[in-house]
Amino acid sequence: MLIIGENINATRKEVAQAITNRDCGFITELVSRMETAGADYIDVNAGSNHPTSKQKQEAMRWLVGTVQSVSCRPLVIDSDEAGVIEAALDIYSGENLIINSVTAEESRLCTIGGLASGKNAQLIALAMGATGIPDNTRERVENCNKIMQTLYKIGMQPEDVYFDPLVMPVSVDQAQALVTLDTIRAIKKEIPGAKTVMGLSNISFGLPGRKLINRTFLAMAAAAGLDGAILDPLDTRMMSLARAADVLTGKDKWCRRYARSYRQGKLDK
Amino acid sequence: METEIIEKIRENLIQGRKSEEDEGIDETLNGTPGVIELTEEALEKGVSPKEIISLAITPGMEAVGEKYDSGEYFIPDMLASAQAAGAAMEILKPHLEKARIASKGRVAVATVKDDIHDIGKNIVVILLKGAGYDVDDLGIDVSTEKIVEEVKTRGIEYLGLSALLTSTMTRMKEVIEALDKAGLKGKVRVLIGGAAVSQEYADEIGADAYCADGFQAISAIGALKQQ
Repeated sequence: MLIIGENINATRKEVAQAITNRDCGFITELVSRMETAGADYIDVNAGSNHPTSKQKQEAMRWLVGTVQSVSCRPLVIDSDEAGVIEAALDIYSGENLIINSVTAEESRLCTIGGLASGKNAQLIALAMGATGIPDNTRERVENCNKIMQTLYKIGMQPEDVYFDPLVMPVSVDQAQALVTLDTIRAIKKEIPGAKTVMGLSNISFGLPGRKLINRTFLAMAAAAGLDGAILDPLDTRMMSLARAADVLTGKDKWCRRYARSYRQGKLDK
Repeated sequence: METEIIEKIRENLIQGRKSEEDEGIDETLNGTPGVIELTEEALEKGVSPKEIISLAITPGMEAVGEKYDSGEYFIPDMLASAQAAGAAMEILKPHLEKARIASKGRVAVATVKDDIHDIGKNIVVILLKGAGYDVDDLGIDVSTEKIVEEVKTRGIEYLGLSALLTSTMTRMKEVIEALDKAGLKGKVRVLIGGAAVSQEYADEIGADAYCADGFQAISAIGALKQQ
């Protein structure tokens, strides 16, 4: 399971503050800890609360530079503005890279898809249409198919795409976890070669003991075929579960990563 | 140069890296040639198969056995190394035949009748192959008659019997009696293993050795050869 560390995100207050103050130390220390904990990719989101577009781009540029000064891990450039993504791509060094994210909304899909295609980057595409988040599997998969048709036209292949099946709180609608799991299976079946990725925490919104729900959901999603998760790698129990799930879904040859994590004392048993 | 490549084969074997794509125990050797590539390279450079076996594969697997016994290695670590050793032996086999270096001996391994456990037996097969024996895996739930027949027709020198259940371990006694009756006593040495059996049971039924795991099977056959 590809682990995308979610921590460098301006929706977190301390991170937003570090970005505003251009506090390199805070960011680099956090990134180093994420890397040690086993994050494969680092998601970077510089936030959208900056007053001008130019400032948003500058914040992203600073953040990418700061993260890359301390870590060789590839990044996930997280923004819904093409200009901000472009700013990040300008100074990005390294071959692997994921852009997060697009939806079935055609014009943004073409613009950002074009940026990804030009940089040989992979793309996270939400199973979401112009009218919002469908509450059922069928429409979500239709959105994915539609996205893929557009991406084919600009030269991208299913292997370049991570589809996000979308996660809605089970506290509001108890069928939603199953809708997400079914969507993972349907995407893998209907778009062979495409991968799936999702953030977990929305599933437990509004419930007590959220981490328990998140962990259980990750195990179930792994069984459904989830390829990547956007999560907090510093959450030892969650990371341990991801390592164990890789063993149980045949994704960890000779159980190497699991045993290594065990030897390094990183597993919560 | 020669010693350097021998050293590399041994190191990769201990790391359990069969080929270039394989991840090792740790990440230090990732992306570099594995046991298969290095063994081929060594042969090209004129290193003798005998040297590869005695200086890289045998000591490498011995080191793996020690690490497994001490609890440092787990079953998948050991299996990865054993499979790498087996792959190297496959590459070396035609060269050994050319050089008329005989295999260390003919071995057959079977899980006895009515017992369908195969994990332990499979580990023993892989390890013995890695140690340079010619191994026939007779499978699971193998009847006494079939075992005797195979020992006779294949010229088996060492027979490993596995049983995990107390209800099936008595088949081992049956096999030994049937081998005696077929006139194979002394021609084939019988080793037993599996959760149900013990040294005491081996003594009781007249087996030549009891083996607690695959590495003990290697050392037990080695000891029987000396006799």
